Amino acid sequence: MLYEIRIDGQMSNELTTAFPELDSFVVPRQTLLYGQVNDEAHLYGLLIRFQSLGLHVVEFRQLPE
Amino acid sequence: MGVMSHSVGGEGHRDPSMTAVAPNGDPVLAARLTVPAVPGTFVRRQRLVEQLIEGARTPLTLVNGPAGAGKTLLVADWIAACEPGDVAWLTVEPEDSAPGVFWAYVLHAFRHHGIALPESIGSPARPGEVDHSLLARLAAWLNGRDSRVVLVLDEFDRVAGCAEVADGLQFVLRHAGAGLRLVVISRTEPLLPLYRYRAAGELVDIRADDLAFRAEETAALVDRHGLPLSAEAARVLTERTGGWAAGLRLCTLAAQRAGDPESFLKEFEPGHSTVADFLLGEVLRAHPAETQDLLLRTSILEETHPDLANALTGRDDAEPILEELQRANAFVEPIGHSWYRLHPLFAEILRVHLGVRHPGLEPELHRTAARWLIRAGLLDEALPHAADAGDWELAAAEFIDRLAIGRLLTGLAAERLDGLFARMAPEVSGPAPDLVRAARELAHHDVDRGVAYLRRAEENLPGGDGGDAAAVRLSCAVLRVLAARVAGSADMAESAARAVAQEERSLPADRLEQSPELTALMLTDLGSAQLWAGRFDAARSTLSDAVRAAQGPATALPRHEALSRLALIDFLDGRPGRAESHARDAIAEAEHSGLPVSDRTGVAQLVLAAVAIDRDDLTAARDHLDRAAATSAASRDPIVAVELAILRSRLLSARGDSRAALRALDDMARRPLVSAEPSPWVSDRIAMAMAAALLADGDPRAAVKVFEEQPAHGPESLVAEARARAAAGESEEALRILDALPDHSSRGPVIDMWVLLTRAQAVDALGDSAAAESLLLKALAAARPHHLRRPFLEAGPWVRRLLLHRPVLAREHAWLTGALSRPPLDARPWEDSPSPRPEPLSARERDVLERLAQLMSTEEIAADLHLSVNTVKTHLKSIYRKLAATRRGEAVRRARELGLL
Repeated sequence: MLYEIRIDGQMSNELTTAFPELDSFVVPRQTLLYGQVNDEAHLYGLLIRFQSLGLHVVEFRQLPE
Repeated sequence: MGVMSHSVGGEGHRDPSMTAVAPNGDPVLAARLTVPAVPGTFVRRQRLVEQLIEGARTPLTLVNGPAGAGKTLLVADWIAACEPGDVAWLTVEPEDSAPGVFWAYVLHAFRHHGIALPESIGSPARPGEVDHSLLARLAAWLNGRDSRVVLVLDEFDRVAGCAEVADGLQFVLRHAGAGLRLVVISRTEPLLPLYRYRAAGELVDIRADDLAFRAEETAALVDRHGLPLSAEAARVLTERTGGWAAGLRLCTLAAQRAGDPESFLKEFEPGHSTVADFLLGEVLRAHPAETQDLLLRTSILEETHPDLANALTGRDDAEPILEELQRANAFVEPIGHSWYRLHPLFAEILRVHLGVRHPGLEPELHRTAARWLIRAGLLDEALPHAADAGDWELAAAEFIDRLAIGRLLTGLAAERLDGLFARMAPEVSGPAPDLVRAARELAHHDVDRGVAYLRRAEENLPGGDGGDAAAVRLSCAVLRVLAARVAGSADMAESAARAVAQEERSLPADRLEQSPELTALMLTDLGSAQLWAGRFDAARSTLSDAVRAAQGPATALPRHEALSRLALIDFLDGRPGRAESHARDAIAEAEHSGLPVSDRTGVAQLVLAAVAIDRDDLTAARDHLDRAAATSAASRDPIVAVELAILRSRLLSARGDSRAALRALDDMARRPLVSAEPSPWVSDRIAMAMAAALLADGDPRAAVKVFEEQPAHGPESLVAEARARAAAGESEEALRILDALPDHSSRGPVIDMWVLLTRAQAVDALGDSAAAESLLLKALAAARPHHLRRPFLEAGPWVRRLLLHRPVLAREHAWLTGALSRPPLDARPWEDSPSPRPEPLSARERDVLERLAQLMSTEEIAADLHLSVNTVKTHLKSIYRKLAATRRGEAVRRARELGLL
């Protein structure tokens, strides 16, 4: 499942290494992460990781393959 | 849950700060039970304090917000400032998602904060499910106190996914009434029925929006750091950080280091959610290189100590650096006894930076931390780091060396350790890893694989006199006793137990005392193997030793099992009084330790069922049998499987359904026993049960044939054969068997009673009714103290004839004659009550009744069913009427008797 996740604010290059399975690029005032999410467990795991790094998820959506 | 040793640090010097401070002497655990200290820079916000005060009037307060929102300090400050009475604080850990572990820590927390829980509440002994009786005792005690207890659960999100923990909390909260106030601090909502609490006005919610700083609060905070800020600047800063506490804190720290703080704060403008990431980088860069390095390296730890930090940096400046960071209120907070905790949010981000700056260093740091923690005696803290370093040789070797192998099989750490070692790579070799694997498989009841690992470990056992080698050999021998028990071999078990004793001599006593569960497990397994082989005297002595092992959660399971088996030995010896008392002790031990029903052995319930059948108390017998069948041992332990079938068959016979009784035994006989070696007394018991069922079915010839095909061993089964022969008209043969019985002084009253009764039956059949009467009199005297009615009911019409024609005898033995004159039960299955069926209950009445049985109050039932209190009361009245009850307890009991629940 291909997902796109929008994070409020610009993540540093260091911080994006916490999500090696996702690609990222920075847009004005937001960071976009996208990549394959294997299953629900992975999805919820990602949400917890965002939260534990103090990141605010604005959008989390599945992309058409 | 570590075990403290005396030397800390590499030089082996004593550190006076690391003395016992928690129930098990672990400073890291003590930190979890301590209300965190509030730094001087903290800004008290009255509007939130008032919400907390309001919350203390309702059962539940929820403090929900993202990481770094200032949840923990808010509650800690409220406690320090308002002293809301008895407070128990627990910082939850991920492993607490095992309900047993969670509740054990909650009880620890109560006791740690001086709340004198009575011993009778008990403490969980298994990591998994906790028996509700324990929670009910806790709730009832809280409810009965004069004052309330505030229980604070910090970082509850770490167990948020565990429904059992939430269910338990909900249960205790409901039943503790005004005695408990729960404050849950969490990043996510707990799985409690919040809507219900909200609807009832029983919940105070403090959420992210409430926690966010308002502009004037921001100004106060920045001012505390010695940076005066204009109202406009405070407004802008609040807006840009979203009022997020961690962001404000970092921002202030960064501004302090900047040349012109005011303009730094004015110009600061990242998006607010990545503020921590950005600012942390800023703040980090402002610190000296040594400080940065220390923070990055210690980010792999949840708690750090100056010596441990030195080990990770390879320098010796940790103490001043940590003190300086603490003074600056940056990143770390002291948790007492020279230990510090990194703010979890910052630690998380620092770990990411560590990976970028020093790729590949992390495993090395984990290995160093593991070695330091091992030297400090903190095995439980060390093992996860050894695992994260991939150093399984170290993890397994230390685990065995600490004689901790038994903790995979019993006690609260079992699940956590099992999960930890599940990650061990298959190519890791050596006796210690193989012993760990063997223990895991045996704990999962995969005996074949367990024994295979055990064999491989045995092939590589170390020699020599060193303590390390002795610990490996000891652990191996203990597991060998367990394997021998499963194989049903008392010889193997005894020889392994001798090896255990030999290795124990080469280990210092204080090391052995640290692991009381090891001895308790070994003795219980040995005693069980001896019992299976019919070595009752040896088994009794071994199991009694097991019961005497040190008390505690780790030994609760073996002690419960040993007591249960002692009860069984007493019963087989024909001593129902002692059997009952041991069985009740076994059950009390399980209740006290909150052992879930499925983890219990079931043997104690079987013994109580057997005694109840002998007393002709069939309702109680059936209840005990149902409880025994609910344990997982019913499918695993051959003794439980066999006795369950035998007692079911006896119960069916007693109810007059001899056909069903025979079928129950046939079913069992067709299933092979799991044990490799046969047990002489177990096959005796099967033959006796078969013969008894055939006698009840009116086929004494077939009963005799059972013993001809399978000759009897023990005295009780020889008597049973004599009884079958007497019933089949072979009275002389019966007397010959009885005469040949060895005169056994240790024989219990039940067997004596059977001998007398059978002899009476034989001489009566031979026409000597005077002698029969005198023997019967003696049999009655032997049976009377224990009220053993069933043997006389089953003995045949001659007993009734003799007794009922002698009014003096009948009066003297009124305990029995009542049962004798009762008309025999018809074969209706499972119904004792002679009273007519009651008027059926309506569906709604059943709903109410079910909740009544769960001890819910009228108001709670009303809320749960969305009914008015008056409607529930109407239903209750009609339930009482239909069940002919006057009170709740009576109604529930009647409903249980009638099978309505």
